[in-house]
Amino acid sequence: MPHMSRRDLLRATGLSLAGASLSGWLPQLAQALADDPARKRHCVLLWMPGGPSQTDTFDMKPDHANGGQFKPLQTSVPGLQISEHLPKLAALADHLAIVRSLSTAEGDHSRGTYLMHTGHRPGGPISFPTIGSCLSKALGSDDAELPNFISISPYTAFNSAAFGPGFLGPRHAPLTVGANNSLQPAQPTPGQQGYAELGVDDLHNPGVDQAQQSARLDLWNTLQTGFLATHASAAPRAQHTVYERAVRMMRSESARAFDLSGEPDSVRDAYGRGRFGQGCLMARRLIERGVPFIEVALQGTGGGVLGWDTHVQNFARVKSLSEELDAGWSTLMVELRERGLLESTTILWLGEFGRTPAINANGGRDHYPRAWSAVLAGGGIRGGQAYGRTSDDGTTVEEGKVDVPDLLATLCQALGVDPGTQNISEVGRPIRIAEGTPIQDILA
Amino acid sequence: MTGRIPPAAWVLLLLGPAVAIAAPPTSAEMAARVDSMLAERWAQEGLEPAPAASDAEFLRRAWLDLCGMIPPINDGDEVSGIRDFLSSTAPDKRARLIEALLARPTHAAHLANLWKNVMLPADSNVLRFGGDAGFESWLRGKFADNVPYDQLVSELLLATGQANQTGPALFYTALELKPEELAASTSRIFLGTQIQCAQCHDHPFDHWTRRDFWSYAAFFARLQKPAQPQQVAFQVSDAASGEVTLPESDEVIAPAFLGGGSSPDDGPASRRARLAEWLTSADNPYFARATVNRVWGLLFGRGLVDPVDDLGAHNPPSHPELLDALATYFAETGYDLRGLFRTLASTRAYQLSSRSSPGDDQRPELFARMAIKSLTAEQLYDCLSEAMRRRESPQPGQAQFGAVRVADQSRQAFLARFRAPAQGATEYEAGIPQALALMNGANIRQATDLSQSDLLKALDSPVFSTTEQRVEALFLSALSRLPNNDEREKFVEYVDSGGGRGDSRQALSDVLWALLNSAEFVLNH
Repeated sequence: MPHMSRRDLLRATGLSLAGASLSGWLPQLAQALADDPARKRHCVLLWMPGGPSQTDTFDMKPDHANGGQFKPLQTSVPGLQISEHLPKLAALADHLAIVRSLSTAEGDHSRGTYLMHTGHRPGGPISFPTIGSCLSKALGSDDAELPNFISISPYTAFNSAAFGPGFLGPRHAPLTVGANNSLQPAQPTPGQQGYAELGVDDLHNPGVDQAQQSARLDLWNTLQTGFLATHASAAPRAQHTVYERAVRMMRSESARAFDLSGEPDSVRDAYGRGRFGQGCLMARRLIERGVPFIEVALQGTGGGVLGWDTHVQNFARVKSLSEELDAGWSTLMVELRERGLLESTTILWLGEFGRTPAINANGGRDHYPRAWSAVLAGGGIRGGQAYGRTSDDGTTVEEGKVDVPDLLATLCQALGVDPGTQNISEVGRPIRIAEGTPIQDILA
Repeated sequence: MTGRIPPAAWVLLLLGPAVAIAAPPTSAEMAARVDSMLAERWAQEGLEPAPAASDAEFLRRAWLDLCGMIPPINDGDEVSGIRDFLSSTAPDKRARLIEALLARPTHAAHLANLWKNVMLPADSNVLRFGGDAGFESWLRGKFADNVPYDQLVSELLLATGQANQTGPALFYTALELKPEELAASTSRIFLGTQIQCAQCHDHPFDHWTRRDFWSYAAFFARLQKPAQPQQVAFQVSDAASGEVTLPESDEVIAPAFLGGGSSPDDGPASRRARLAEWLTSADNPYFARATVNRVWGLLFGRGLVDPVDDLGAHNPPSHPELLDALATYFAETGYDLRGLFRTLASTRAYQLSSRSSPGDDQRPELFARMAIKSLTAEQLYDCLSEAMRRRESPQPGQAQFGAVRVADQSRQAFLARFRAPAQGATEYEAGIPQALALMNGANIRQATDLSQSDLLKALDSPVFSTTEQRVEALFLSALSRLPNNDEREKFVEYVDSGGGRGDSRQALSDVLWALLNSAEFVLNH
């Protein structure tokens, strides 16, 4: 905690940021980020609540009855095939490392969500942090203008602890954008131009204008100055610092990262008009401004938020979800690549478990943690490969079995973070960010 | 120890040990003893303790620590309200305040909330469905009746019955009836020891071995398991058989107490009955120490051993004799938890100011100045509610008060957002998302809305004839004190000028907004 002088206190939040014009500096900023040899790493977690079907996306079984009705599509990498409904990703396959041999132990939504977000099974005295809290703490800076961990359209009702900072404390909690925890469909909620509207929760109070807000902060400063001058210990200082950062964000140009209205329609359309696509666009804008960890959830399209939980009508639903996924994810990678930021950004595509290779009587697939897929892409990842293999019917892992700790350790390594980095838990015991061993074959 | 001989010891010297054993020191005597032991250390370190806290500071602190919320401006009992307390000239008013607060239902509700958060893991499946309400309600009843703490813990450990209905049985469901989880939790919570690291390997710092861990876990090996793993509705009960084995081996481990002493299965008592008896017995060297250390930590911001549940040779107490003396006292008083709170809150040390200047000695382990503590999420929510006079019905004081609070949806959403780990009370844990919520979120919008805040509406009443009186009322409501001269001048002028909107009523809401977002409001000092 840096020492704060009385003078610092007095000028606190009285600041007004020089109003640099937006259009001018942003491309230079991105370029500067890309050129900096010690540049920051970024991570995007594409979270698929409900549990996506690996058989209909990244681990096709065209020669088996379990394969279902989708056709495999040859990707840009010879011999590597994915679903026909992911054509844009197929064209970018040289950036993808598809892990086809994930095998985990939790087949319940709540427990699986916790396991895949923390690397630990739920229960016991330790509240493990979600991976975004750990990695944003490791990668981020305390005085950054924007929060280090931003979560877009999270669906946290399965297990809110899986999305929380656990023993790291609320300072490492994500800033949420457009959280939707109701079971009502999140989409379509088009804004004026037909795009899903996303906004930071509580960034502004709609009933208070700029003048009133400034007047309030001026009164607040009077109280803070008096109290901090007579209470020179850590907690008041920390509270003041956090507020200064929040106020700076409310006023700053950086907060415009959350305003997508200035993006050309062609770009917004390329990402897809839904919450996921617009969330991926927001992720690109946040990465340009140095935010180290962004989570974007793909909830359902029309049929409820649990889109990937396809116990019934698996194929129609996965087709529609795949189209949304394909547009958002591929455009994000293309735009990051154009800006020289893809090689410093690692992407993980993940759900809480996979789905049964066998198709049930309702044309659906049920929960299946035994053999399923995740995908790593971008910075630090050796793309253009499928790692591990499942049996011909898809029911078991035959080669290269991967459990969660190894997957998360691999993600850490790709980001240049030592997975053995320790944080002290609430019971005083040091806990590593990820307990597993990085899989070298997946790393660049 | 070389300090003055405390009064209780004089009694012992004059009357002989038989009388002294029959009567533990009174609360006041014990408080004096605590103070003299702390003072002795300050003298050794050449440290001057902070001056005493003002009445306003003490009132707010006592309310927050004992009842979990800030004081009301007026209260029916003529002691606890801000105006009554500040204007009273009674020399014993602090003692009377402590007494009055300890007797309130909100004291029991506050303790129940604190203990629930310690006892139940936050990510438990059971809690997703609000199962903790029954547990909290059970605890509240025990604290309200001041059931001796050893008895409370025994009842928890011996809980039987429908797991999703009765209070204490939920402890077992939340930990999924797993011997290793129950062992880790009960030893941490009730004995203040971290044996769980020894689950997989011998403890690197402490002396516990894997065998110690599994011998202790064996006490929980004979619980009836539900037919289906995820089943919630089943009876928690003892089974006739069941063992634990050392991991990666077939070796059955027999139950044994921590620190030695086997416990053979040769009598009618169940394994957990034997554990409960040992755990709460006067011979147990850990139970009383762990409990007094936890309560000390709640009131003083850090334990005599810190973290509070990591006692052991590797982590010595800051004041070993003091910890022993308090543990003995707690056992002698029959594990009277309310008495322990009374004694500690009565010390001069608890009533020291938290003020300091840059450069002051900040060694917190010497307790020469009151620590500044963060509010728990529950305290913060209840303080915001209190500051805007948004009372849930029925009114606090009635038996159902806590039950209504637990069911409150807006409260639950707020708690989920502000929940912090139980440790580290002297750290400010919140971040930007929480700051944004406190500045712009639904709770603060409601609290500062002229048509919704009962407090702001009340300022229109003829009771207040001047701006100064209205500003004073806001300061008292939020900060439990009057504005100082600078503040008074600035805030009155702001309101009279109409503030940012040219509307003096709106300007009063701006004042309230600033107060509720201030460090002074969101911290316990």
